[in-house]
Amino acid sequence: MTLMMFRSQRYSDFSISLQLSRKLLLGFLFMVTAIQEASAEQRIVEHSMGSTKVSGTPVKVVTLFQGATDTAVALGVIPVGVVDSWVQQPTYKYLRKDLADVPHVGLESQPNLEVIAGLQPDLIVASKRRHEKIYGHLSQIAPTIALETVFDFKDTVAMMGLAMNRQQQANALLQSWKNRVADFQQRIPQKLGEQWPLEVAVLNFRADHARIYLKDSFAGSILNDLGFIRPANHPQGQWVVKLSTKESIPTMNADVFFVFMTEDDPAVKRNYLQWTNHPLWKSLDAARNHQVFQVDEVAWNMSGGIMGANQMLDQVYEHFGLNPVM
Amino acid sequence: MMSSSVRSFQLLIAIIMLVVAFVASIVLGQTSIPLGTAFDAFTNYDANSIDHIILTTTRLSRALTAMFVGAGLAVAGALMQAMTRNPLASPGIFGVNAGALFAIVLCSTLFSIASLQDYIWIAFAGAGFAGVLVYGLGTIGRDGVTPVKIVLAGAAITALFVSFTQGLLVINQDGLDSILFWLAGSVAGRSLELVRPVLPFLFIALVASLFLGRHINILVSGEDVAKGLGQRTILIRLLMGLLVVGLAGSAVAIAGNIAFVGLIVPHIARALFGTDHRWLLPGCMLLGATLLLLADIAARFLIMPQEVPIGVMTALLGTPFFIYLARQTAVAQS
Amino acid sequence: MDKLLTLRTSVVSIQLNSVTLKMLGTLLIGTLAIALMSLSAGSQWLNPIEVVKELLLSEPGQHAFVIETLRLPRVVTGFLVGGALAVSGLILQSLVRNPLASPDIIGITSGASAAAVFFLSYLAETVSALWLPFAAILGAALTSLIIYLLAWRQGVTPLRLILIGIGLVAGLGAMTTFMIVLSPIATSMMAYVWLTGSIYGSDWQDVTALLPWLLVLLPLSLMLSRTINVQELGDPVTVGLGVQVQRTRFVLLAISVALAGSAVAYAGAIGFVGLIAPHIARQLVPRSFGSLAPASLLIGGCLVVVADTIGRTAFLPLDVPAGVFVSAVGAPFFIYLLYRQHR
Repeated sequence: MTLMMFRSQRYSDFSISLQLSRKLLLGFLFMVTAIQEASAEQRIVEHSMGSTKVSGTPVKVVTLFQGATDTAVALGVIPVGVVDSWVQQPTYKYLRKDLADVPHVGLESQPNLEVIAGLQPDLIVASKRRHEKIYGHLSQIAPTIALETVFDFKDTVAMMGLAMNRQQQANALLQSWKNRVADFQQRIPQKLGEQWPLEVAVLNFRADHARIYLKDSFAGSILNDLGFIRPANHPQGQWVVKLSTKESIPTMNADVFFVFMTEDDPAVKRNYLQWTNHPLWKSLDAARNHQVFQVDEVAWNMSGGIMGANQMLDQVYEHFGLNPVM
Repeated sequence: MMSSSVRSFQLLIAIIMLVVAFVASIVLGQTSIPLGTAFDAFTNYDANSIDHIILTTTRLSRALTAMFVGAGLAVAGALMQAMTRNPLASPGIFGVNAGALFAIVLCSTLFSIASLQDYIWIAFAGAGFAGVLVYGLGTIGRDGVTPVKIVLAGAAITALFVSFTQGLLVINQDGLDSILFWLAGSVAGRSLELVRPVLPFLFIALVASLFLGRHINILVSGEDVAKGLGQRTILIRLLMGLLVVGLAGSAVAIAGNIAFVGLIVPHIARALFGTDHRWLLPGCMLLGATLLLLADIAARFLIMPQEVPIGVMTALLGTPFFIYLARQTAVAQS
Repeated sequence: MDKLLTLRTSVVSIQLNSVTLKMLGTLLIGTLAIALMSLSAGSQWLNPIEVVKELLLSEPGQHAFVIETLRLPRVVTGFLVGGALAVSGLILQSLVRNPLASPDIIGITSGASAAAVFFLSYLAETVSALWLPFAAILGAALTSLIIYLLAWRQGVTPLRLILIGIGLVAGLGAMTTFMIVLSPIATSMMAYVWLTGSIYGSDWQDVTALLPWLLVLLPLSLMLSRTINVQELGDPVTVGLGVQVQRTRFVLLAISVALAGSAVAYAGAIGFVGLIAPHIARQLVPRSFGSLAPASLLIGGCLVVVADTIGRTAFLPLDVPAGVFVSAVGAPFFIYLLYRQHR
């Protein structure tokens, strides 16, 4: 009985806070799911820094890397604290509506521990690669789970789903992703016939060099899942190659290019134009066959979450003239 | 004393070496281009030949850049060593590279810089500022300029600018990932059109330094002697200082952080051509250009298809040499 | 005449006059005040009286976590790091007889940096980040040994040490850049933070790991203070006085390296502390090692604590690495000092 009272106390606190944040409807949904899954009182989450006991349904979540923020929103929970984004600072445009009033806790590399503690979260989502050093502090503030990397979005969804007591939503997200991938894999050979599977290269231009993002990068791993293949000369076991001379343009060669960059930076734009106006560029298969597509750098490289992955998939569908399934 | 004819012969050999290095730099790379094809590219250009395109668009500008930067750094080093009578003086040691680096990073954090040409002017300013600062710091004090004081002042100013730079990099990381290669020193991504505004400076400064040879000889033999011979030492020093900032500044502006060329080359040149600056300076020019061309060729082959930044190459070559020199200097001093 | 306080045990003998004692006392009080301010400042300003109460009372209060877990270890680590670097710099400056020497300028820090960036670039995927400090200490020790061996030529002269150190700084810097530019995994951000120097996220483990180094090395250097004073007089004199110059030099250098290495291992490549702190100390107390060492320790410690406090409060919610502010505060001051000293 006392336990029940305690719990209901917590719920009423929680719904007040949601009213304050004017997301009553969403809050209502939370309560419904929370009550439904009240049986899942305590869960043990195994993660890269050990195992963490999470009880109840965490509602005050602090996310310490971009992919975790994306995933929390996708799971229907607005975090109570997030870190600054890499570009489009301080928040990626696609998340701005959802995260309008959410306080920031600093940079992904050094989030402010005092600010996090002040938010009194009941769950923190971190990444081993970035936050191993402060894991001890974080777990004193609240139960903390740590993902191994910052861009394995499927892992992030599954683990956050479990920790946040939203396994159903997480499974639904992953299932929908699986379905979409399957749909693409099924329809693209019909569309392209003999041409499939295509060789793909993800290119990125910076102010004084160009990069090829390889298999192990965020975008690269998704393209793998979709069935794209890589040119044989692209290095293995790396996530990026940095090219400093235009003489290397032939190494980029592939059937299709997806190009992303920080478009509002004039130096980047200028460098992009120089590379793409080079005679060697015009000798590349993708360039000759007009298979060079500009894509959104946030979705393709910076988001690291399931929403970003889906946006990226939308763009792939679009470029091949297919209607995406939702 | 070596006779003029011996020296002329040596210079001729140096010129031949430079030409060989230049040709090698043009034909060697990710795709090796046969000599004949390379020759054709200039006499009988074929816009459809990939080899010709590579040659005229990337290799040529790269070789020319490396040549000018190498020559500029080497002469700047020789002038600095003469001015401070310090065998360890050179642009890198003087903090010029770090100053340029900091100026670039500061400006690209505060403002959005539209083009690499703007980078060049900003780097120029930073390089000059750091050079003057180190010289100023190294000269104050009772015992005047000593080699060690200058080197330490340079190291302190370098440490200062480097730590500022790193601080800015932490705050604006993604934006600055963009200019990684310039930060590390590179002659690869420079098309001729970009470098063109700076080349006249370099060229004029190089030529001007050739005319100073005789005056520098007198200056090096001692301030009193020079005054006795009626030399206006202050004017000559001022001119040399101006040339150093011009040469080193524009070299760093074009190619970023390239260390040790300005230090090593004058020493090799002295071993070959003696200490007469009328011969030493042209010798430095030729050897500096050759050295950087060779370093750049090596940089292409180590980790294909990527390239080692040339600044890293020269530092790896230069460190052992510097240590050797340091041991000699320290013996001479004690 | 000044009254002299003589501390004389079987191994340590230090004479401090009353002026020096007063100055050291003032510095100590200043340090405590700065520490208290730093404990009060943060995302939320706490009343210093509350902070003192929290520290003294055994019962944990409302802000126990923020003060005792987040701020206090950080302040203590910052103080230890700054103090270690300052004393390391003081020893080097005496040894080399040049006021511009410091661990970051003659290569000790560069060795640690190269090792740390190597760790971050190539080992971070397989080895726990908790090993990073060991990699850094190893790098510092190895580099110092190389510098020492290269400088050896019928003994080691300070001049050769410093020149060879500077040469290695450039070479190691190039290797560090190379690793950042071409590392196979995305580590440039972590590397930049490390290279700037930061005591972010310090915990009591860091304190307990760092403290023994200082507890052993500081008394040891004080024991040697007489030989250090003699070292400053230069080779001919030291030989004349019969000090076993080379062996003492090696021991002093080793102490200096161990101090700097352990500090850098836990805080990254914080620059300038080792250079500036001894300079400030020389303005305040007489030039004998016995009084300079405690003064440098306190000043260096305060410098890092102040820089870190600025870093974590000036741009809230950002937590900016302390290294940025150490240079920002220290560099102009350093130039001013040099100017004044040589005018």
